[in-house]
Amino acid sequence: MQWLDTAPEGVRLPVTTPLEEVEAAARGAEALILEFDAFRDGRGFSLAAVLRERGYRGRLIAEGRVIPDQARHLRRSGFDGVVLGADADINAWKRMDAAFSTTYQPIEDNAVPIWRRRNPEPQNPEAVIETLNRDTRNDDAAAILRAALDPVLGLKPAVLSSFGAEAGVLLSLVARIDPSTPVIFLDTGMHFLQTLAYRKALSERLGLTDVRLVTPDADERADLDPRDDLWRADPDACCDLRKVRPLERTLIGIDILITGRKAYQTPDRRGLRPFELFEGRIRVNPLHDWSEERLAAWLDAEDLPTHPLSAHGYRSIGCWPCTQAVEAGKDGRLGRWSGAAKTECGIHLGRRTLPVG
Amino acid sequence: MYRYDEFDTAVVRERIEEFRDQVSRRVSGGLTEDEFKPLRLMNGVYLQLHAYMLRVAVPYGTMNSDQMRRLAHIARVYDKGYGHFTTRTNIQYNWPALSDVPAILSELAEVEMHAIQTSGNCIRNVTTDVFAGCADDEIEDPRPWCEILRQWSTIHPEFSFLPRKFKIAVIAASKDRAAMRTHDVGLQLIRGEDGQAAFRVFVGGGQGRIPHIAQEIAPAVPGRDLLAYLTAILRAWNLLGRRDNIHKARIKILVASLGIDAFREEVERHFATLRREDLRVPDEEVARIRAYFAPPPFANLPRTSGAFDRASLADPDFARFARNNVRRHRQPGYATLIVSLKPQGGVPGDITADQMDLVADLAERFSFDEVRAAYEQNLVLPHVRLDDTPEIWRRLAEAGLATPNADLVTDIIACPGLDYCSLANARSIPVAQALSEQLADLDYQERLGPIRVNMSGCINACGHHHVGHIGVLGVDRKGEEYYQITVGGSADEQAALGEIVGRSLAADEVAPAVGRALDRYLEVRREGETFLDAVRRLGADPFRDAIYGTLDAVA
Amino acid sequence: MKIVTANRLSDGRVIYADASGEPVGALDQAGRFDGEAAEVALSQAALQPAIFVNPYLVEVADGRPSGRDRFKELIRSRGPTVGHSLERL
Repeated sequence: MQWLDTAPEGVRLPVTTPLEEVEAAARGAEALILEFDAFRDGRGFSLAAVLRERGYRGRLIAEGRVIPDQARHLRRSGFDGVVLGADADINAWKRMDAAFSTTYQPIEDNAVPIWRRRNPEPQNPEAVIETLNRDTRNDDAAAILRAALDPVLGLKPAVLSSFGAEAGVLLSLVARIDPSTPVIFLDTGMHFLQTLAYRKALSERLGLTDVRLVTPDADERADLDPRDDLWRADPDACCDLRKVRPLERTLIGIDILITGRKAYQTPDRRGLRPFELFEGRIRVNPLHDWSEERLAAWLDAEDLPTHPLSAHGYRSIGCWPCTQAVEAGKDGRLGRWSGAAKTECGIHLGRRTLPVG
Repeated sequence: MYRYDEFDTAVVRERIEEFRDQVSRRVSGGLTEDEFKPLRLMNGVYLQLHAYMLRVAVPYGTMNSDQMRRLAHIARVYDKGYGHFTTRTNIQYNWPALSDVPAILSELAEVEMHAIQTSGNCIRNVTTDVFAGCADDEIEDPRPWCEILRQWSTIHPEFSFLPRKFKIAVIAASKDRAAMRTHDVGLQLIRGEDGQAAFRVFVGGGQGRIPHIAQEIAPAVPGRDLLAYLTAILRAWNLLGRRDNIHKARIKILVASLGIDAFREEVERHFATLRREDLRVPDEEVARIRAYFAPPPFANLPRTSGAFDRASLADPDFARFARNNVRRHRQPGYATLIVSLKPQGGVPGDITADQMDLVADLAERFSFDEVRAAYEQNLVLPHVRLDDTPEIWRRLAEAGLATPNADLVTDIIACPGLDYCSLANARSIPVAQALSEQLADLDYQERLGPIRVNMSGCINACGHHHVGHIGVLGVDRKGEEYYQITVGGSADEQAALGEIVGRSLAADEVAPAVGRALDRYLEVRREGETFLDAVRRLGADPFRDAIYGTLDAVA
Repeated sequence: MKIVTANRLSDGRVIYADASGEPVGALDQAGRFDGEAAEVALSQAALQPAIFVNPYLVEVADGRPSGRDRFKELIRSRGPTVGHSLERL
C-alpha cells in the first residue's frame, strides 16, 4: 500500500459515481483516483473490488475523507495507495494496515484466505510467478523481497549468499524484513579465509539467526577430489561437487530461493526478472536491475562492513583458486575464472550430468 | 459446537489489539467521536442513556458451559451482576466502562467469544432456529452454514461501511422459527436437485419505521455458490443503497423501490462477473466445520420416560412446566427444554450472574454441555433426557428460572426501551411488567394458548412489535409516553405485519386494554383456534371494539 | 434556563457541566445558563472530547428537565426506573 502526499495524474471520480460510469472511465486509464466525501461511504470498496475483478490493472488511489482504520479495507478491496492529508498520522495508517495477519475473505491483494490456508492446494508455480511478477512490476527491491517472504504465500523461503563483495546489500534488505530467514552459504572448502571471517562478522552485524553452512558430500569429495585440486583440470566438475550438488540437496523442501543476481553481471543474466521458475522452484532476484554504483552507494549508506578483499580490487568473490582481483573500471566478474570461458559456477544453470567414469 | 483453530483465535485477538489502539487514539484526540463511533460499534460498544452498552455475540445462539460461566463472570466483575438476551440471540451488558472493554474482550476471547460486528453498518450476527439439531422437521442442522457465514462476514474489507446494518437468518425447515422473513437476507436450507444443500434466498425483510416481509429472490442457490450470491446481493446494495437518510438506507427500501425483479437483475449482473471460484468454500472445509455439529452421543432410550410420567402425575406444577416448556426432540427419550427469562413481573430477557452459572451447570451436566439463546429472549437446553427433566425443573425453580410460560401470553418479547436506550420514545419494560402481573394466572394463560406479545419502545422496532400477534409500540405524544397496539402480526412462515387497532393509549391503560382483547378472543374463538387464527378469521374489528368500546364509553 | 449534558468518555456515565465547565454527575449540580451563555458553555464542553461525548443543551425549569425530552432527561438523571439497576451508580 502506498502512502502518498499527492494524487498522481489520472481520472478522478467521487465514490458516489454510478458503477457503469466508473467502469467506462477506468477503461485504459493508468490511474484512477476515487474521492471519498465521507469515510462511512463504503461504496468505494465495492467500486474497487468490481473494477479489479473485471480486469482493471491500473493504479487505484483513494483520496479525501478516509481514516487510518480503513487502510486494510482499502488495500484488500483493490486500492494501491491512499493520499494522506497534511496532518495524517502515518504511523496509525501503517499500524492499522498491518493489524491482521490473516483474513477469511479471498480478496484483491492475493492474500491466501484462511480456508485455503487450512486446506492448502498444491500451488502451480508458474501461476504464482506470473502473479508475483505482475504485482511487483515497478516495485523496489524491498517490496519484491516482502512479496517473496510473505507468509501468506505458504512457501518456504531461503536466501542464497556467497558472502562476497556485494552480499551485504541483499542480506541487509532481508534482515530488515525477517532476520530469521534461512541463509544458505555454500561452504565449498575452497573459500578465502577472509570470506569466512566476513560471513561471521556480517551475520552478527545484521542479526541473521539461521545461516546454514552447506558442505560437499564427504564421500563424493573423497572419490572425486581427494587432493583438492580438481579445479585445475575441470573447474565445472569442481563447482558441481562443491556447489551445485550440495545446493540441490539443501534445497529439498525449499520452495522459493532468493538470490543476489543482477542483470548487469553476465550476458546470461541480461533479461533477469524479479521472479522466475528454475527447476520447479521459484527463484527471486530482488536486485535484478541494480547497477554496481547503486550497490556501492547502498553499502556506503548502510555503513555495513565490507568484504576485506574488496579493498584489494576483488569485486566478485568466489573460491580462491578461481578468483582474481580486477582493475578498476573493468567488469567486476572478469576476475572469476578469468582466462577461461566459464562465467557461471553452475548453481544457477541447471543440472549437469557427471561424465561416467 | 465449533471450536476455534489458530486462525480464528488470531483474528479475534488481533481485533482486540486493533480496538485497543482505537480507544487510545480516541482518548488522545487522534480520532474524533464521529470517526470513533462506527469503529466502536463494530466492536459491539454502544453509548446509551446511562452508560456504554456492550453487546456480545452468541453466534447462531449456541454456547457451552464455559462460555456461559464467563458471561456470568463478566456481569459480576465489570457490570452490575446481570445481562440481557436479545431478539438476535446476543447478550447485552448495560454498564461497562469503555476503558474496561479491551479487558472484557480478552476474557471473552479466552472462551472463544467476541463482540465483533454486533453493531454498526456491517453484517451482524447470523441467527437461526433455536431448535437446530433437535427438531425433527429440519433438512439438516443449519449451524455449519451459519458458522461459514460468520467467518466469511467477519471483518470483511468490502462490507464494513455499508449503508446500514445487515442481518441474516438461516432456517432448515419449512416452519420458520427464526423470524427469517423479517431479515435483510433470509436463507432456507433445502435439498438441491443434486441432493446437496441449497438455499432458498429471501431478501428485503426488516422491522423499523417501514416494516417489510422479505421476498424470495432465488429458489435454489447451491451451497457452493452461497457466498458468491450473498456477495452479489451485498455489493448491489452497497453501491445502490441510499446514504442520504438513515431511515431509507436498509436493503428493504432498495428492494421495494426497484421491485424484486429489477433488484434480482442487479444481483445476477454482479453474480455473473464476480470470482465465484474464490468464494467457494473447499469441500474439506465444509466437512471440517460440519463435524463440529455432529449430533451428541445420544443414549439409546425408550420413547417414554417413567420418571417424567410419574413426576407429571404427582406434581401439577411440574406437569404444567412439562406441557409448556418441554418440547419434543427428534431423538427418542430426549427433549428440548425452554428456560423462561420472563418471570412474573420481571424484565423480559434479563438474567443474573448467579442464574447464568446455574444454567451453565445444568447445560454441562444434562445437555451435553450446550445451551442456546432464543429469538424469544429465552434460553434453551437443547438435548436433555426426559428422565432428567424433573430434577432440572427443581433446580431451575430454585433459581427463579422455571416460569412455565413458553410461548404463552406472558412470554413477552420486549426491547429495553427508554429505561436504557437513547433512541426510545417510551419505556417498554414497565408496560411488559404490568401486563405480566395482570395476566399472571397460569390457568388463564394456558386457556388462552400460544400468544406472542411484542413490545418496542420506539419505531426502530427492536422488540419486533410489527410481527407480534399483539404488538405494542411506544410513541411520544407531547413528551408523554403513549402506546399504540397492533394485532395479527406474525413472524413465522406466514409472516405478516400487524394492524393498528386505534389511537394510542396511556401507559396504565395498556395492560387492561390487552386484557379486554384477550377476553374477547375467548368469547369469539372456535374450537382449537389460536388467537392469531381468530384475528385472521375475524380481522381486527372485534378486538378494536373490545379495547376502545369501554374507553370511548367512559370518555 | 439550560444545562449542558453529555456522556463521559471513560465510562459512559451521564455528566453535566457545572458553572465552571467541570463535569459533575448530578443534575442539581449542573450549571444553569441563559441564552448566549448556554451556547458558550456548550462549546466549551465540546472542546473537551476526551471527557464530554456529544454534549448538548437541555431546557430546565425549577431544577427539572422541562422541554420536549423532559421524561428522557429525567431518566438520564435518575437511572433506569426498573429492573436490576434501580439504584443509580
